[in-house]
Amino acid sequence: MNDAVWVLTLAAAVSAGTPLVFAAVGEILAEKSGVLNLGVEGMMLLGAVTAFLAAAASGSPLVGLLAGTLAGGGLAVVHAFLSVTMRANQIVSGLALVIFGTGLATFLGNPIEGDPLKPGIVDLRIPILADIPVVGRILFDQDPLVYASWLVVALAAFYMTRTRTGLALRACGESPETADAMGLSVARLRYVHVIVGGLLAGAGGAYQILARVPSWSGAGTTAGIGWIALALVVFAAWRPWRALLGAYLFGAALAANFALQAAGVDAIPAEFLSMLPYLLTILVLVILSASSARKRLGAPAALGVPYAREER
Amino acid sequence: MQVHLERRLETRTGHRALVTVLSIVAALLLGAIFLSLTGASPLVVYTEMFRAAFLSFYGITDSLAVAIPLILTGLAAAVAFRMQLYNIGAEGQLYVGAIFGSWAALALAPGLPKPLAILLVIAFGALGGALWVLPPALARAWLGTSEIITTLLLNFVALYLMRYLIFGSASFLRDSTTTNFPQGKPFPEEAFLPVLGLTRVHLGLAVALLAAVLLWVLLGRTRFGYDVRVVGDSPGAARYAGISVRRTIVVVMLISGALAGLAGAGEVAGTSHALDPSGLAVNFGYTGIIVAALARSNPLGVVVVAVLLGGLQNAGSALQSIPGGGGVPVEVSFMLQGAILLCALAGELFVRYRLRLRRGLPDELTEGARP
Amino acid sequence: MPDSPPAVAPAIEARGVSKAFPGVVANAGVDLRVKKGEVHAILGENGAGKSTLASILAGLYRPDEGEVRVNGEPAHFGSPRDALARGVGMVYQHFRLVERFTVAENVVLGDPHQPLLLSTRRAEKTVAELGEKYGLPVNPRARVEDLSVGEEQRVEIVKMLYRGADVLILDEPTAVLTPQEAENLFETVNAMAAEGKSVIFISHKLSEVLAVSQHVTVMRDGHVVARAETASSDRRSLARAMVGRDVDLSVQRAEEAPGEPLLVLEGLNVAGEGDTVPLRDVSLEVRAGEVVGVAGVSGNGQRSLAEVAAGMRTPTSGRVVVRGVDTTGKGPTAARRAGLAYVPEDRLGTGLAPSLSISENLLLTHPRPFFLKRKQMEATAREAIKQFEIRAPGPDAATRGLSGGNAQKALLARELSDGPEVIVVASPTRGLDVGATQAVREILDRRRRAGCAILLISEDLDEVRSLSDRILVLYEGRIVHETSGEEANVEDLGLAMAGSSEH
Repeated sequence: MNDAVWVLTLAAAVSAGTPLVFAAVGEILAEKSGVLNLGVEGMMLLGAVTAFLAAAASGSPLVGLLAGTLAGGGLAVVHAFLSVTMRANQIVSGLALVIFGTGLATFLGNPIEGDPLKPGIVDLRIPILADIPVVGRILFDQDPLVYASWLVVALAAFYMTRTRTGLALRACGESPETADAMGLSVARLRYVHVIVGGLLAGAGGAYQILARVPSWSGAGTTAGIGWIALALVVFAAWRPWRALLGAYLFGAALAANFALQAAGVDAIPAEFLSMLPYLLTILVLVILSASSARKRLGAPAALGVPYAREER
Repeated sequence: MQVHLERRLETRTGHRALVTVLSIVAALLLGAIFLSLTGASPLVVYTEMFRAAFLSFYGITDSLAVAIPLILTGLAAAVAFRMQLYNIGAEGQLYVGAIFGSWAALALAPGLPKPLAILLVIAFGALGGALWVLPPALARAWLGTSEIITTLLLNFVALYLMRYLIFGSASFLRDSTTTNFPQGKPFPEEAFLPVLGLTRVHLGLAVALLAAVLLWVLLGRTRFGYDVRVVGDSPGAARYAGISVRRTIVVVMLISGALAGLAGAGEVAGTSHALDPSGLAVNFGYTGIIVAALARSNPLGVVVVAVLLGGLQNAGSALQSIPGGGGVPVEVSFMLQGAILLCALAGELFVRYRLRLRRGLPDELTEGARP
Repeated sequence: MPDSPPAVAPAIEARGVSKAFPGVVANAGVDLRVKKGEVHAILGENGAGKSTLASILAGLYRPDEGEVRVNGEPAHFGSPRDALARGVGMVYQHFRLVERFTVAENVVLGDPHQPLLLSTRRAEKTVAELGEKYGLPVNPRARVEDLSVGEEQRVEIVKMLYRGADVLILDEPTAVLTPQEAENLFETVNAMAAEGKSVIFISHKLSEVLAVSQHVTVMRDGHVVARAETASSDRRSLARAMVGRDVDLSVQRAEEAPGEPLLVLEGLNVAGEGDTVPLRDVSLEVRAGEVVGVAGVSGNGQRSLAEVAAGMRTPTSGRVVVRGVDTTGKGPTAARRAGLAYVPEDRLGTGLAPSLSISENLLLTHPRPFFLKRKQMEATAREAIKQFEIRAPGPDAATRGLSGGNAQKALLARELSDGPEVIVVASPTRGLDVGATQAVREILDRRRRAGCAILLISEDLDEVRSLSDRILVLYEGRIVHETSGEEANVEDLGLAMAGSSEH
């Protein structure tokens, strides 16, 4: 292989962005139903540790992926229960989810800290397409989950805009009173989409440990990418395809470390390179809020507001 | 039968206390499930934790020592919560406060009279924390950028900054005499916070308690506290009353950041006597959020909750070295803290609402069953 | 039950329906029978329980006691879905529409017959047909956020017809309409009744009820207090049944020559902000002892006008002068210092901070010392509660829990306490019951007679007409019509409000 460094970097950006794709699309679905779930980081971490444990126990990364996905969904059930049924403050509930998820994940992961994961995910080179110069190496010489993430994006986009339930979902986030008056169950729609969001966040966490990082390293395994995924939702204006694009942009920042080291640049200390994705995310958020000033592009109107019918 | 929620017209303090206690019990039960999963005996673990935290003199004082930063980060979260602001960057503000405090201790303190030296360290800690929260505060006030994600992401930036200063560079704060494992330069004696006897409880406790009382007066008894509540309750009413929403946001965030910075300076000057990245990165900032939420943003309640959770955290770390602990990792306390918060959130509903049960048939009304 | 069902069961019927909310009994043993093909009015003042009854009929609330029957069959509605399935649809006072959706998308939302893959083509066709048939023209592809209030109401009705509603409940449908739009609505209602549909028409306006219904049920304090054939009932007895006593809402105005201009707005242009409408070249003056009423359909710049006058908003050009002091863009505190009080339309959320107590709220627009004097605040609050007859548990009660009338009285108590000479009020009686309405209007009139200059901005044309010495009409941010209070002619005002005045 004698691909140029920048090609390898972009390929790494795609891989680094993939957990973000899963998590961001999941969060888009939850937020479109009107529920803000700040617990992405917690769901991803729990997904990651569960995936590791399950993959190690079964010897199958696929089992790991499934287990991680379910773990994320399981934690999301807690958020759905608190925010929909119990009408709790969604921000506080989301934060609680992060704290609990992180605590539980580090607790469960304590014995395996530093162990390398034996059965990782193997790359799947797509014949013909992978032979396209540059693009082939970047996009079609990846592992199967990268391709799966595209499918998730396509399905989510189609579902939201073209189906009956997608319309109901959007109505639920824009105006739950209307959805209710038109005979839709706001609670059910919110539960389902928060949980699906959790499943996808869990899958993102599972991907992170199965394909990205060499071993479980506690909270450092995800190192805040759950929060970046939340920012990505705003960046993507709640649109799945834009989230995919954004995820690769942030993925590039995450992979910059690798690229600059490979290019032999050591003038910039490693710690500063590590700050890059976080600073970039903050910058993007600030610029977005400055430019879109009063128009909240795509943000569901009832985001974060509990819905109760019989209150007056 | 159908469950039906009804808003309570008023909430009672007794109710709140009961719900809090029940939440803790529920969280312990939840924790027991996971403990059993890992093969430990929940009963033994809990007994040992309680013993380690609250049953011996040094256990109690150690718990108090852990409570000091938690009171301060709890207050930091609480003052912002009062205004529906979510500063979840106390973790990073604490690091930066520690960095600033360390600089003051190493650069300014030597040769100064002790009270002045300590004052400088503390003031620089507060300054550092406040500066770190300033960009998110300004972005929130002028551009409406959600402070939640920005303050949180800055935690990572602060963490790497601190690591850079100790591990990544030959900075002023790094100890140049040791060549093996990099660590912070030891502080001069002048910058040490006085401690209580042989315990680990340092002057920071007095600072934290003072901060809690001052904040309680400020929020509950002054015009500023009034403005904070109006802005938090309804920005429309604040605009109507001529209260500057922007200025109030920035001031509250600065107070919040300064409190978290104080916690960091207190840790380095009172406990580690050097900038110690790994000793600082034990979730004091995140736990502060739990403290504030459980205390319902009441500054005096923060003190009580911080002592409880400080005990839990202290017990968690003690557990590893205790024979009966069964090799249960320190993380158990973080898991339990998170579980307590989740259960408390669920419990909040019973404070605000009354549960009524009724049958499916509409013409048969059963009397409301009170929880 | 011994009595056998009548030959033709009522289209919809409520039997002994009761419903309580914490602290209030909204419906107590309500009976209602609505025949097929009839327009049945439910008359009652605000807070009489009409909307609660309607929500029960539409499946939004469950009754605590009693039952609903549709075509003689008991109906246990668990949700609006159940009600719609039985042909009962409701048009709420606050529309249930998704602003960002198109008309067609709103129409198909929640339709069980819609295929999994969304298709709005059939809906677009049906919307056009229904529009034709009942005189409800709407463009099915338009986005709801771009529609006028009147058009939105048509969408609501079409939506219910599309879903096959045979019983249509209209909750205060004319509140948002111009007089001409209301006329059109009445025609639509009659067309629907002629088609065999039943229409329940909820209103607190006697004249409308008399104009449109065949049957009327009067409610007061959650009870049904009268039932009548509209044609054979007389106005006075219905009014008495509704209010429980004889009532005269018109304020007796003593003629006095207005004095000096105390509030002067000059050539104001205000940019739209968020969803507020911009103002264009608005000039007016209000003299001492004069009420100037600004009429208009909601969303035509009322909020911008009120806020720019109160100093909360800076105009791009023009001046605001309060008692000779230029307060343009100097903030609400400067305007207040110049002697202006502002009673905003949005009582809870702007005028009052909902979770703060009454005594704290009474401090909101007054100078505050650094250390709050709790005792003194409480005493002030007790005094205000007594003087303005605010019904509240005490000075520590959160204003969130107050009824509309009591919240408004608390707001007035604060705003009028330091003797302002200029008062800007927006929709001061919206949502209030008759007693509170009368109290508020009297308070304002007393101030006028004491020499205050009052700028009254209201969407309630009757209110503007009964209180004002001069009337202006605001349409799309401009003043398009001006007339003196005596000469005011409803038809001209209505045309101006709809934007089709002579010029």
